[in-house]
Amino acid sequence: MTDPKADLLQGTLDMLILKALSLGPLHGYGIIQRIRRMSDEMMHVEQGALYPALYRIEQKKWVKSKWGHNETGRRAKFYRLTKTGEQQLKEEEASWDRLALVVAKMREAT
Amino acid sequence: MKTLLDRIRALIRRDSVLHDIDDELRSHLEMEAEANRKLGMSDEDADRAARKSFGNLGSIKDRAYEVRGGGFMEMLLQDVRYSTRLLLKHPGFTVVAVATLAIGIGANTAIFSIVNAVLLRPFSFPQPDRIVIVSEDAAGTVVSYPNFADWKDDRSLFASTSAVRSDESYNFTGGGEPERLQGRLVSAGFLSTLKVSLALGHDFTADDDRPGAAPKVLLSHVFWNRRFNADPAIVSRPITLNDQSYTVAGVLPRDFEFGPEADVTIPIGLSADRFKARGSDPGILVVARLLPNATEQQAQVALNVVYARLEHEYPSNNTGRRAYVTPMHEHFVGSVRQPLLILLGSVGLVLLIACANVANLLLVRGSTRKREISVRVALGANRWRIVRELLTGSVLLALIGAALGVLLAHWGTAFIALQLPGSIPRLAEANVDLRVLLFTLGASVFTGLLFGLAPALQASRLSLTDALKDGDRGTAGSRQHLRSAFVVCEVALTLTLLVGAGLLIQSFRRVMQVDPGFKSDNLLTMQVSVNNPDGNQIDSFFKQLQENVRRLSGVKSVAVSNGLPLVGVNHPTYFIEGKPLPKNGAAPFANRYTVSPGYFQTMGIELVKGRVFTLQDTPRTPLVAVIDEALAKRTFPNEDPIGKRLSQSRNFSPVYEIVGIVRHVEQYNLDNPTVRLPQFYLSINQISPDRLPGSTQRINLLLRTEVEPTSLTSAVRAQIAALNKDQAVFNVRTMDEIVSRSVAPRRFSMMLLTVFAVAALLLASIGIYGTMSYAVAQRTREIGLRITLGAQRRNVLKMVIGEGMKLALIGVALGQIASFALTPTMNHLLFGITTTDPLTFLGITLLLSAVALFACWIPARRATKVAPLVALRYE
Repeated sequence: MTDPKADLLQGTLDMLILKALSLGPLHGYGIIQRIRRMSDEMMHVEQGALYPALYRIEQKKWVKSKWGHNETGRRAKFYRLTKTGEQQLKEEEASWDRLALVVAKMREAT
Repeated sequence: MKTLLDRIRALIRRDSVLHDIDDELRSHLEMEAEANRKLGMSDEDADRAARKSFGNLGSIKDRAYEVRGGGFMEMLLQDVRYSTRLLLKHPGFTVVAVATLAIGIGANTAIFSIVNAVLLRPFSFPQPDRIVIVSEDAAGTVVSYPNFADWKDDRSLFASTSAVRSDESYNFTGGGEPERLQGRLVSAGFLSTLKVSLALGHDFTADDDRPGAAPKVLLSHVFWNRRFNADPAIVSRPITLNDQSYTVAGVLPRDFEFGPEADVTIPIGLSADRFKARGSDPGILVVARLLPNATEQQAQVALNVVYARLEHEYPSNNTGRRAYVTPMHEHFVGSVRQPLLILLGSVGLVLLIACANVANLLLVRGSTRKREISVRVALGANRWRIVRELLTGSVLLALIGAALGVLLAHWGTAFIALQLPGSIPRLAEANVDLRVLLFTLGASVFTGLLFGLAPALQASRLSLTDALKDGDRGTAGSRQHLRSAFVVCEVALTLTLLVGAGLLIQSFRRVMQVDPGFKSDNLLTMQVSVNNPDGNQIDSFFKQLQENVRRLSGVKSVAVSNGLPLVGVNHPTYFIEGKPLPKNGAAPFANRYTVSPGYFQTMGIELVKGRVFTLQDTPRTPLVAVIDEALAKRTFPNEDPIGKRLSQSRNFSPVYEIVGIVRHVEQYNLDNPTVRLPQFYLSINQISPDRLPGSTQRINLLLRTEVEPTSLTSAVRAQIAALNKDQAVFNVRTMDEIVSRSVAPRRFSMMLLTVFAVAALLLASIGIYGTMSYAVAQRTREIGLRITLGAQRRNVLKMVIGEGMKLALIGVALGQIASFALTPTMNHLLFGITTTDPLTFLGITLLLSAVALFACWIPARRATKVAPLVALRYE
C-alpha cells in the first residue's frame, strides 16, 4: 500500500530526529539546527516534514513532549527521547550500518 | 484502542490540539526570526524569511493535525457526506438495497427482541440465578403441600422457601362490572424469598398465612391501575373476592413477574384445608432461594435425603416420589429455548442472504464507479482510504436499513406477541429496548462490513490502465467469480431454510390430522363459576341454564362438564372391584370428567359400547361410570368391562358401575402422545346436592351449534345473567380456538420459519436473476456475434440457462449437505416425520430448482432476443 521508497525516507528522518534528541531534549527549531550541524550543513530538514514526523514518533512513544522555555526565555515545546526511543535508535543505527556495509562491499566488488 | 481514544479525545478538544500545534509552530517561527535578526536582518525581513522557509503553514498544520489524531473523524464525516450524496444520486439502487437490508435486519431485530425478552432479560429481583423451583415430578408441575410443610422450615436445605399455586381464579364483585380475576396463592415468605419489595403497603406476615386469619390480598400493579386508578389509599381497604372480603395489604411492583400473570396474590394458608391431602392434587410449586454458596446439586442431594425419609414415613403417598430442583429461569423458559434459538439462527441466515444480494448490487455499481476510482488511485489516493470510503458507504446503507428495520421489528414484535397470548412465557414484555438496539447496531455494522468488504477490496484493486483502456471488461472475470460464489451461497442457505420450514409444515399438518377423539367444529365453550353454598340452588341453576340455552335458535345440544380436553381436568387414582389392589402409591391415575348426559353428543365423542349417561341417572339410582377405550384396554384386556365396578378410593366407597365405553380424547396436547392417561366419566346429575358446591368451582358450559358458534355468545350471556346477574362468565372460546391455541407454539415456529424461507427464496431468486442478467448484459456483444455467425437461439437459451443452473445446482448440493447437518437440531420440533424426510428434501430441491430455472430463464430469453447489429455496435 505504501511506497517502499517513502518508507525508507520516513525511517531515515525518524532516525535523524531520534539521533538529534539523543544528545538531549530539544524543541523543533533546535532539532533542525542540530541535524544541520551534525551533518556538517549537508542535511536540511523542512519544517513541513519535521512536525508530522515528530508527532508520529511521539504517538509511537519514542519521544515525549513538554512545554518549557529556551535559553532566551521563549516558550517552546521540548522533545525528549524515551527508553523505547533509545532502543529504536539503536536498532535503526545498526540496520543502517548493515546497509552501509553491504553497499560498500557491493561497490568494492565492482 | 488507545489511538481510537486519542482520536475521540482529539475530536472533542479539537480546538486545543489545533492551538497546541499553532503555538508550537509560532514559537518555531519566532526562534527562526530571532536567528535571522542575529544575522543582521531587519525585523521585517527576518519575519518574512522565516515564514518563507516554513513554506505553506496551513498545509503543515493540516498534516500535523492529521498525524496528531484529528483527521480520522473529519475524514469519516467527509466519507459519510460523500456516500450520502452517492446514495441520493442513485435512488433505485438505494431503495432496493435499503429495503432488502431493512427486511433482513428488521426480522433479526424482531426475533432477537423476543429472545431477549424471553431468554436473556433477567428477572427483576435480586440474584435470580439463586432462585430454584422444586417440584415432585420431572415435568415441573406439582408438590404435595403436606410434604412441603415437612421441609419448608429446614434451613439446612434452603435459605428461604415459599409455596406458590398459580392459575387460581376469583370473582371480583362490588364495584362496577363483576370480573374474573387470575390469582396466585403463596406462603408468607414468597416475596422475601424473591427479595422483592412492594410498591405500596406491606407483605403478608406468618400470622396472615394460616386458616381462619383475616383475609388479605396483594394487588398486581396492572390490576391496581386498571380497577383502582392507582389510588395509593387502596391499602387497608377491603375488596370482595368470591363473595368474601379481603383487606388490601399492598401492591406489587410494576415490573414484578413470576409465572402466569395474577391480578391478586393471596396467602395459601387461608385455604390450607384444600391442600391437606398428601397426594399430588391439588399441588403447589415451591420456589426457594439457595443457601449462600450452595449449588443446586447440593440442594438436590439434601432434598433426596429428605424424600427418602418422607417415603419411609408416608409410604402410601410417597412411594417412588422424589424432588427435582430446577433453576427458576430453566423452569420458566427451558422448553422454548431451542425453538427460539433455531428461529434466531434461521433469521440470521436470511440476513446473510440479504447481505449476499446487496453485495451483488454493490459489485454491479462498483463497475460503474470503476473509472472514477481508478483515476483517484492513479492520482495518488491511498487505497486504504478508498476501501474505507466504500465501507463507510456500506455501513451507512446498513444503518439506514437498520433504522427502518427497527420500525419493522417494533411492529413485528407486537404482532407476534398478539399471535401468541400466554403460550410463550414472558413474551408479552417483548419490545425494542436498549439491548435490542445495541444488537441491531452491531448487526448492521457487521452487515455493512460483510457485504461491503468484498466489493470494496475488489474496487481498490483496480489498475488504471485496465479500467481506462478496456471499459467494463477489465476485472470482469474475478468480479463474476465473486458474484457466482454469492449466488451459490444464497441458494445453499435458502435450501437449508426451506428444508427446515418444509419439515415444520409437514409436522404441523400431521399434528392437525391427529384425531383428538372429539369434534371441535361448531362448538362453543365458556366457563361459569358458581359460588353458592346451597347445592340445590346450584343444581337447579345448571338444569335451568341448560334448558334455557337449548331453546336458543341455532343450538343443537348443550352440556356442562367439570374438565375439558386440552383445557384442564382432575386426574385421581382409580381402583377396580375384583382386581388385586395395587400397592400403596402404585395405583394408576386417570382423567376424570364429571359431565351432564348431553356431554358426549355435544362434544362428538363416539360411543363404542354400552350406553352413556341419561336423565334417568340421578343421586337415587345406582351410580354409573363411562370409561374410555384406553382404560378398557389397560384394565380389562380380555374381558367385557360393562357391568364391572370402579371406585376412586381403595375402600370402594362410593363405587360406580361401568355402563359404557367411549373413544379416548386427547387431554394434554395433540402432538405429545407420551402424556396419555386413561379416562373415565361420572354423571354430574348423580352428585348429591350437598357435594355440589365443592365440585362446581369451575364448570364448562358447552354448546354444539348449527350456526357460527361465537354468534351465540351474547345470547348465552344474557341467559346466564337472567338467571343470576352476579354470575361471572369467562374464557368464552370455541373448541376450534382451544385446539388452535394448544398448537400455537408449533404454529408460531412453523409460520415464522416459513416466512423466513419464503423471504430467502425471494432474495435468492432475485440474486440469481440479477447475476444472470448482468452476465448476459456483459456478453451482449459475444452473444450477438454468435447469433450472427449462425448460432441457434435455442442454443443461446440453453447456454445461459445452463450457466445459471450450474450455480444453482452447486448451491442446492451444498445446501443439502448443510441441511443434513442442521436439521437434527430441530428434532424436538418435528412430529411424525424424520429430520431427513426424503420427500421433504426432494420436494424442496425441486421447488428451489424450478424457481432458479425461472430466474435464469428471463435473462436467457433476453439474450436470445439480442439483435446482432445492435450487439456489434455495443459500446
